[in-house]
Amino acid sequence: MRRITFIQPVLIVSILLAACLPAFSGSLDSFQGEKGELKISGGTAHIPVMKEAARRIMMANPEIQISIAGGGSGVGIKQVGEGLVDIGNSGRKATDEEIGRYQLKLFQWAIDGVGPVVNPENPVKALTKDQMKDIFAGKVNNWKMLGGEDREINIYTRDEASGTRAVFWKKGLDKGAITSFAHVVVSNGAMKSAIAQDPYGIGYVSVGHIDTTVAPVALDGVVPTIETVQDGAYKIARGLYSNTRGEPVGLTKKFIDFLYSPDGKKIIESKGFIPVR
Amino acid sequence: MKKIGELVAERTFLLSALASSSITVAILAFMVFMGLPLMKQAGFYQLLVKPWAPYQGSFGIYPMIVGTGCISFLSLVVAFPLSLGCSFLIATIAPKPVSKGLRRLIELMTGIPTVIYGFVGIFLLVPYIRELFRSGSGLCVLTAALVLGIMITPTMTLFFCDSFDRIPRSYLTAAEALGASRTQKLLYVILPCAKKGMLNGVILALGRAVGDTLVALMLAGNSVRVPGSVLEPARTLTAHIALVIAADYESPEFRSIFACGVVLYLFTMMVTFLVRYLSFAEGRRD
Amino acid sequence: MKTRILENFTVVFAWLAGLVLLSGVSLLLGYLFFKGHASLNLSLIFGDTPPLQALLLKQRVFEGLFPAVAGTFVLVVLSIAWAIPFGIATGIYLAEYAGPRVKRVLDALFDVLSGMPSIVIGLFGFSFAVFLHKHYSDRIGPCLLISSIALSFLVLPYIIRTTQAALEGIPLNIRLTALALGATRLQNIFLVLIPRSVSGIMSGIILAIGRCAEDTAVIMLTGAVASAGLPRSLFSQYEALPFFIYYISSQYADSEELMQGYGASIVLLFLCALLFVTAYGIRKGLSHFVFYRP
Repeated sequence: MRRITFIQPVLIVSILLAACLPAFSGSLDSFQGEKGELKISGGTAHIPVMKEAARRIMMANPEIQISIAGGGSGVGIKQVGEGLVDIGNSGRKATDEEIGRYQLKLFQWAIDGVGPVVNPENPVKALTKDQMKDIFAGKVNNWKMLGGEDREINIYTRDEASGTRAVFWKKGLDKGAITSFAHVVVSNGAMKSAIAQDPYGIGYVSVGHIDTTVAPVALDGVVPTIETVQDGAYKIARGLYSNTRGEPVGLTKKFIDFLYSPDGKKIIESKGFIPVR
Repeated sequence: MKKIGELVAERTFLLSALASSSITVAILAFMVFMGLPLMKQAGFYQLLVKPWAPYQGSFGIYPMIVGTGCISFLSLVVAFPLSLGCSFLIATIAPKPVSKGLRRLIELMTGIPTVIYGFVGIFLLVPYIRELFRSGSGLCVLTAALVLGIMITPTMTLFFCDSFDRIPRSYLTAAEALGASRTQKLLYVILPCAKKGMLNGVILALGRAVGDTLVALMLAGNSVRVPGSVLEPARTLTAHIALVIAADYESPEFRSIFACGVVLYLFTMMVTFLVRYLSFAEGRRD
Repeated sequence: MKTRILENFTVVFAWLAGLVLLSGVSLLLGYLFFKGHASLNLSLIFGDTPPLQALLLKQRVFEGLFPAVAGTFVLVVLSIAWAIPFGIATGIYLAEYAGPRVKRVLDALFDVLSGMPSIVIGLFGFSFAVFLHKHYSDRIGPCLLISSIALSFLVLPYIIRTTQAALEGIPLNIRLTALALGATRLQNIFLVLIPRSVSGIMSGIILAIGRCAEDTAVIMLTGAVASAGLPRSLFSQYEALPFFIYYISSQYADSEELMQGYGASIVLLFLCALLFVTAYGIRKGLSHFVFYRP
């Protein structure tokens, strides 16, 4: 609900601008006269921003078609490298090997974090890092051991292609084990709705995605919010990247430029991330 | 002498038949071709018995095979008695109008989209199972099997009804002449005669259960471990393909899903030939 | 005495089973309607866009299901268009030309194809698209074209089977009349046999349409995406109803999106039921025979 109410005025204004005063549509000006298709895939944390940006661009210019798929960071990098899509998003920095192999150009347009989340009904809202490592390793398997109800802990994790998983595993779990008991979900959105439905679940999600349906878990006393990520207090931070093969040209370039424009930055902020610079 | 048009037409029909049938072969060839590097490197048999731990370099699909087996077997356990009962109702027990209406309804049920079973399962059954057993997340083998069981029941019921229908009229008339009640006719004439046809139905329904992707993907939790109980999550071969499809095309993860594909393909073939064999056997007996 | 108990037990058991199945399915449907009926209105499909403008492709729809419905529609039309010529021609060949030995081999192959899990066909389509992309053209990737071809593989057996069954079911006297009057084999097929089996073939086609509209596993691997707008060419990615339902079920952002998911489920359900009833009206006693011919 919160999101909708926020977007509506913005939307109405942008529709009005697009419809009546094309000259003042600012950041969208550059799309005048462009046409064609733009395929985007990869990082699932990026999807809300991508969708909103695509919607604005397509509204301003009906000749442009933008398709957005998920899949995970690994997929984004591979698909853009293979030329299957124009922009491959990733929630982790592409490795040097990947950059070299596909001549990737990286565009970091936002800062994000990865935070552990539980259901809002769960009384356990703070953990130490060691406790969290034990939970994900399967050593601590009951909420009672952490001061919660006497119920099993249901662990949710992401698939192997996920950049969120890679970042969380590296910075949150110090490359510790994730038990194979864990449920596997395929996107940040899916993680959020899974935790929102399971009162005894724990998972991790892009900080920008945290809303009232899930509760962030304070890690060593620091609650993962966009503010703590920004001031550096919360350590599991990461960039959100859009990658292209070689220098972007045409529509691809304009789309990426749009993300860095004032309008683009507003979208990024409204979706809960910190725009770069 | 045949007219040229006749010949062209016959050739066209033949060619399209060959083209269509070659799809079946092409799919297998492609699966094997794509999966071959990994199968060679790790050995096909090794893939079947090893666990899935990509970070440790192990790409076995054993947990998925067990997961598929558990979920489909359990769904048969749910579906078999239901189908048996429903086909009894339709065949003899229910009065004529009821049985006719029930049959129509069950035929209609075969048309319900799979994704809808999954969708309702997530929001209705998952929380219920979680609170009922007070264990796990509700995304588990049991939930998936229950929904899958309900899903394959209509198909299975209709197969049972068909095999009942194929029993020669004369047998039934003979039983009636001897004063058998409807139930007696069912138990002592129809059931023994229709055994093989029913086996066919069970096997085909099993094929459907194994081949279904969406229900397991949405409801079984997709963890990569051999489930220890029906309340634990598991992953099926089909769900595994859907989850890993996104990986790097050169990687062993990606290759491994073709091993899943081959296993599913071989299973389909087995089911088909078993059913064909049984049908021929039944045909000979008549 | 013991047999009496068995008989009574059988009766009770049968009624119980019927009750369980019916209540299971009515629970499923009831829940869907109970939760989703509120979302059923024009803005479910068209969002804030005026319906006429959207249908005439003058304005784009962003909030509604229109792109997904349109995607499914185009997908179904394409897949059926690929499957019909091959399916009917193959059915004719099997029924009218094939010798017993050839027929047995082909029958077996089509039986395997009709039992094939749809995800395997999807996997085939996906890897085929990647293969084409690498070796032929950069433009080809998972897209509408690939999806529709893969789906046509999935439904091909339905059309072949119904055509074959309809032709084989024609009695011998009708079969021979035209031939005796001097018609050629081909004339006999197109002027006598096919017109008589049109209803059978049609029911097969409609079932195939239902299967195309319903299948999720194939399209999620071969080009359906979360957001794409209306498909513009055969090589573009697209949205589709069943994929939308799957997508929403796992990652709805808020209760409004979830309501859309319920709405989409009801729309899809009605669509499939409608197709099924139509097929049924055209020809009675169908369906599972087409799935697997025992």
